[in-house]
Amino acid sequence: MPKVKKKRVGFTIDMTPLVDITFLLLTFFMFTAKFKSDAESQQKFTIQRPKVTPDTTTIPQNDLAVIKVAIDSVTLDTNYYYELSNETDREKVWNSIEGLNEEQRSSPQLKVSVEVLNQLVQNTRLVRANTKFAIDADRRLRFKWIDDAMNILRKNKATVFNFVTEKEGM
Amino acid sequence: MSGGGEGLSLGAKPKRGNSKRKVKKRVGFRIDMTPLVDITFLLLTFFMLTTTMAAPQVMEMSIPPEITEQVEVKASELLSFFVRDDGELFFAMGQDEPEKIESKEMVKKVKEISIRENLKPELENKLIVGLYVSTEAPYGEIVSILDALNQAEAVIVDKLSKDIDPETGKPKERKRRFTIAPLLEDQLNQIKEL
Repeated sequence: MPKVKKKRVGFTIDMTPLVDITFLLLTFFMFTAKFKSDAESQQKFTIQRPKVTPDTTTIPQNDLAVIKVAIDSVTLDTNYYYELSNETDREKVWNSIEGLNEEQRSSPQLKVSVEVLNQLVQNTRLVRANTKFAIDADRRLRFKWIDDAMNILRKNKATVFNFVTEKEGM
Repeated sequence: MSGGGEGLSLGAKPKRGNSKRKVKKRVGFRIDMTPLVDITFLLLTFFMLTTTMAAPQVMEMSIPPEITEQVEVKASELLSFFVRDDGELFFAMGQDEPEKIESKEMVKKVKEISIRENLKPELENKLIVGLYVSTEAPYGEIVSILDALNQAEAVIVDKLSKDIDPETGKPKERKRRFTIAPLLEDQLNQIKEL
């Protein structure tokens, strides 16, 4: 005898548990989401950070000044970049540097020479003395680049700073 | 759904029979949740893809301030690590001949040496660790050495905190003395041929 196919008109699944879980995940991701900074989305380089053993220290979030030393992905030359997270401070510091064009003035990150970097660090210290400094450099670079940056920090009496690193095995 | 059930039982109680309104039965009442789920999934996917989970890790450094006058250091209280142009690492205690550290066992060796020398009773908190780096050496290499030294530091602090200082009666405190500097010419000559 052939099976009689049961009619399934108006068949519905209870979606409540699905919605529960989805909302839970959605809320979680919404609260943890941190968007890329303007500087990061504009830059034309990626920094391969030096690898160290995993640790819990993370980069400070407020009043942070980052000296980036990176290899340009197109031209392959090395440059210093300076990023300041605090917007009001940034405006003051950027204004104290001569010879910036309009576009550079509004950008959160500047491509700089060693001399200008020194000036920037100095002015940052003047504007806010407790600004935290970090050096974010590519692991393939010669130590010379980092040594020069460290000397600038030393000259400006910022003797405690951070090296941005990456967890080993990532 | 449970709310609906409760309302039903309340309405059925005889004490509340004053109102003449009849509670409408809503058995099997459903809202179509599909559009809600659609939007929620869309948002969920968006946030999942744009989120970057962890802030980058950092290694804290503190370097000696700029000084104009030379500081005299006892050679016997100085442990030096040298990094050559090609990234090869050497170490020397005081004025001993520098010895090579193979890159394979770099972390293990650096840790071992640092712990051993720092915990010698006569050198405790007196030993200065100097890392002398050729400006041509790769930066990644330097950070690995610093990392190894930091790992050793954790062990040293741990060991010292278990000892009691006879003068104060409290656990011993660690005063770290560390410096990083470019390699000097005579240091380079010492390790050039090794």
